[in-house]
Amino acid sequence: MNNKKVISLIIGCMCVLLSYGICAQIKTINAIGTTTSSNETENGLRDSILRLKERYDNLYETLENAEKELETERTNATQNNTELQELESNITEGNKALGLTEVTGSGVIVTLNDNQSISQNNFLGDPNDLLVHYSDIIRVVNELKNAGAEAISINGQRIVANSVIDCDGSVIRVNGVKIGAPFEIKAIGLQETLVMVDRYGGYLWSMREEWLLEAELKRADNITIPKYSGVIKFEYAESE
Amino acid sequence: MIVIAIIIGCIIGALIGLNAPIIPYTYSTFLAIAVVAALDSVFGGITSVLKKNFDLTIFISGFFCNSILSIALTYLGQKLNLDIYLAALVVFVGRMFTNLTIIRRYYIEKWTESKKKKAEKAVTQE
Repeated sequence: MNNKKVISLIIGCMCVLLSYGICAQIKTINAIGTTTSSNETENGLRDSILRLKERYDNLYETLENAEKELETERTNATQNNTELQELESNITEGNKALGLTEVTGSGVIVTLNDNQSISQNNFLGDPNDLLVHYSDIIRVVNELKNAGAEAISINGQRIVANSVIDCDGSVIRVNGVKIGAPFEIKAIGLQETLVMVDRYGGYLWSMREEWLLEAELKRADNITIPKYSGVIKFEYAESE
Repeated sequence: MIVIAIIIGCIIGALIGLNAPIIPYTYSTFLAIAVVAALDSVFGGITSVLKKNFDLTIFISGFFCNSILSIALTYLGQKLNLDIYLAALVVFVGRMFTNLTIIRRYYIEKWTESKKKKAEKAVTQE
């Protein structure tokens, strides 16, 4: 009896391990969204992309940690020197203006999406009329800037001075990164003026009421806008 | 008792697996090959129970050694840029099919025998 108990306990533990392994694997594969195709080349390519993406993510995390460390080192080093402290605050301000720091604050979140209620197959007109295009996003970003937005991001991509919002087939490219609908545009600024982007006869109103796209603006406190992940460099522009 | 332990173990493992954080994609290949190796050991264990030469130590050591060895081979294969895990996969899955065949034969033979016995019983009763 005792022997049987031990055996069943051990086998139970092994079942825990086995089903844990299977479930964790299924969960991981589901989360990544990869599928196994019968084409070996395609599988290999997908595999390498996923590996590289993970490596990129890991390296980016390391970079962020290093930058944080640098920041704390700098604050520590300049603590007792007023002149250096001023320079340090200059750097911080400059980075903020360039979009190289994460910022938080109150503002609005604009959500744009393609028309979801009309089936593309039943639509007699141009199916392009049912989609959000890059020009729409440029217009909305421009209006947000006009309303005094201090920081703007589209689906997590920070808009900086040299950001490009471009058409890339069925998706939109922002800062060289492909993003797809729904688009979530976050803007930090004075809420009272930012909400005026969604006024009667304005561009958002037209998108919603005339072109039947999904466009929504809502106030939000505590918006976090990530920093620009690219590199800003000047090769030809010189300043005295 | 053993059946209950298996069921409870599977449920607990599934619950842990569904709630645990996802593992990095780079390591998911290792986990996959380890799972296949463990499954192979399980089928091997069932076959040995049917053959009545089941030994718990062999079963446990096979379960863990196969998994660890297959992970190590996969790692070596990645270092050598050679898909060694394919060889492990072929062996494990091939053995799994062999064991499944043995299990299937065993139960089908048992079934046909019991059917025969029933028929004989019916004849003698008449």
